[in-house]
Amino acid sequence: MNQFVLQYGKSAELLLFPHILELGMKKNGSIQANSFPATVAEGLRIYHIIEGRFEWYINHQPHVFYPGDVALIMPGIQLSSDNSVLTIGSFIWIQLAVQKLDNGHVLPGKWSRLSDSEATAIGKILFVNNLPALSRFNEVCSIIKCIYTELVEMEVAYQTRINQHIDELLIQVTRKITRQTHSTRDFPQAFTNLEMALRQDLSHQWTVEEMAGLVGMGTTLFTEKVKSFSGFSPINYLINIRISEAIKLLKRADISVTNIALDTGFYSSQHFSTTFKKLTGYRPSEFRKNHLRNI
Amino acid sequence: MDCIITVELGTYGIRVFIYDLSGRVIGSMKGHYPTFHTQPDYSEQDPEQIFITTLYVLKNILNEYIHPGKYKVASICFCGSMHSVLPVDAKGNPLGNAITWADNRAKKEAQELRNSPLGKKLYRETGTPIHPMSPLVKIAWIRDHDKERFRSASKFLSIKSYIIHQLTGEYMIDYSIASATGLLNIHTVSWEGDALQYAGITADQLAVVAPVLSKAGKLKKAYQQSLGLQADTKILIGSSDGCLATLGDGIIKGEAKACITIEDSGAVRVMGTSVLKDEQMRFFNYLLTNDYYISGGPTNNGGNIFEWFTRQFGEFASQFDMEDSMQQLLEEAANVPAGSDGLVFLPYLLGERAPIWNANARGAYFGLNIKHERKHFIRATIEGILYEIYSIGKTLEEQRSIENLSVNGSFGTIPFCSQLIADIFNKPVQVRPEFHSISFGAYILSATEMGIYTSLDDAATKPIDPPDVFKPNKQHHGIYADYFRIFERLSAKLSDEFEAIANLQQKYTHPDKLLMNDKL
Repeated sequence: MNQFVLQYGKSAELLLFPHILELGMKKNGSIQANSFPATVAEGLRIYHIIEGRFEWYINHQPHVFYPGDVALIMPGIQLSSDNSVLTIGSFIWIQLAVQKLDNGHVLPGKWSRLSDSEATAIGKILFVNNLPALSRFNEVCSIIKCIYTELVEMEVAYQTRINQHIDELLIQVTRKITRQTHSTRDFPQAFTNLEMALRQDLSHQWTVEEMAGLVGMGTTLFTEKVKSFSGFSPINYLINIRISEAIKLLKRADISVTNIALDTGFYSSQHFSTTFKKLTGYRPSEFRKNHLRNI
Repeated sequence: MDCIITVELGTYGIRVFIYDLSGRVIGSMKGHYPTFHTQPDYSEQDPEQIFITTLYVLKNILNEYIHPGKYKVASICFCGSMHSVLPVDAKGNPLGNAITWADNRAKKEAQELRNSPLGKKLYRETGTPIHPMSPLVKIAWIRDHDKERFRSASKFLSIKSYIIHQLTGEYMIDYSIASATGLLNIHTVSWEGDALQYAGITADQLAVVAPVLSKAGKLKKAYQQSLGLQADTKILIGSSDGCLATLGDGIIKGEAKACITIEDSGAVRVMGTSVLKDEQMRFFNYLLTNDYYISGGPTNNGGNIFEWFTRQFGEFASQFDMEDSMQQLLEEAANVPAGSDGLVFLPYLLGERAPIWNANARGAYFGLNIKHERKHFIRATIEGILYEIYSIGKTLEEQRSIENLSVNGSFGTIPFCSQLIADIFNKPVQVRPEFHSISFGAYILSATEMGIYTSLDDAATKPIDPPDVFKPNKQHHGIYADYFRIFERLSAKLSDEFEAIANLQQKYTHPDKLLMNDKL
């Protein structure tokens, strides 16, 4: 396969695919000044290394990529190299337009056939794990090549097929992330990591799919494992954490009950109050009166 | 019909059992709470989450078994892990997280005290080995390194005392957990002045010491309502996990029997009317009552080491399938002769407490030859874990005669392991499958308090089901005895090298990697 670069707005091939911002393959045979200036892109960039060795900075952190490795660069994150020089070798890449939500999470666009909850889970996992280097991941290369072939040959139903390939690419990348971040042998450790992720974003309306995705499991097995490990269903375990954190906040005078409810992930102060009273016997305001810290 | 609820506040979570008055289990439930390791050597738990989990599990179990049925809760008896410290303010609000038994932040303080004449005296008076686990040195650490928290602290509680305070408003601590703080004089059963002085606190900064059968106040109205319990439900202060595991296994004072617990970590314990004296400070002596001492030695390296081995070398046909993978390894190990054809394993992956008390100790496979296969490693690993248990038992035997063993805990009660324990010790081993010794011990306390039994001894000698018995195989014992001598010599001889390698590991390992997991 020869080098190519397709860009939305410039290349006719991408006319029907506004979500593919860029697709390319680069074979670099010589070292030249300013051949690889620092870039920040609005889309999600996925690079797969075919030959050579590349030392790149992603978000100013150094990473070394060898053939088979994948660099994953989130929207708005900088990619650069030492002295803006591209070393010898070749790679293939794609840049996808994704929706960016207020909380920093990403979501695939309308072209995707992923269900809403699966799409949210994928966005969440990409965001939470922040894993820019994925090793030994040749599937990415073959999917991008398939997309390119479809674009060029335009066989019947190629539009559908390409969008399927992009969904497949996102699924593969997400699964690779969960496998690379979590051992599939140590459930207690995986659970600890999950708990940390939940606590870091307690106000988020977590779904079981997202939680399962973070551990790299299907929802059925995940629910079963969580139940046998923790004694609680995933959602009830989450409620435990929410109430425990709420209790700590109620003991401080500087935050309103409504804000505590929202910060700890309840839909409303009413929802918080009911859940809190059911478990502790007190309404949050009563509890606060009894326990306010003397400062 | 009356029933008894037991609540165990353990290392990984809470476990609640309901017993009928005869000691049969009506139902049980558990709830996990996490341990946080924010820095190397730190091991903390969130008291609010423990409390919420306690309420949640209690509510669920009451809804499932009690409220729809014919039962009335006569008493709720509490059991807790030892050695935790939770500073609270004047209103009883926690000042940060609780520091658990596995926390090693006070290792420097512990080492200095251990080597001083005061340390030796405090060990004799309090029965608690001078070790970072001890609340005595943890409080001293807070005083020196977390001054603001120390100043704001109105009291220093244990996790169990905090939960009981939440439920009833009383500040109480039972004999057993108090005797594991390193601050209680176990001979006079009062807070020890020299220990208080060392820690820099006064006796009124600690909870009130109460016998294990004491009532810990009345359940607050709000909880009576939210849980659906009557005002006369007795809240019993209870005891510690170690003491209750021993009592629950039917061990009574004066009996030539030891209790071996092997969960993730482990311990060997005996019960008696006097303490074990030891110049080398290898044993603990905790109080069950005024005249029952539970004495013994703890190990860091139990079932968690076999789990480590399984994670590295097990098959894992499907994700996270620890149980099947362990089962497969056990089957392979059974095909290797006793003694693993001369492969000896030192299990000190997490450092070690009794009997060598060396935090720098590390693991080793010794005696490898070209004929050894993967399966030899499996069996050697299990044998090494159990040699360590035996090395504790053997030191105990210097002072107490032990003729029988009772084994509990998830690892110790695997039949393959129970048989190995019988062979290595050359003593018969009793095991009750599916039996939860700690909770049953708490049932014994409650039932005795209610007058169903005349004494704890009376209750403990009336087990409801006869145990399985594993008889020692003399021939295997001979082989194990020979290899154990090498195990014991290696553990002593490698002392210098343990320190050298531990120092290098500290020097060349990235600090993040040193964050110990909660399997200490």
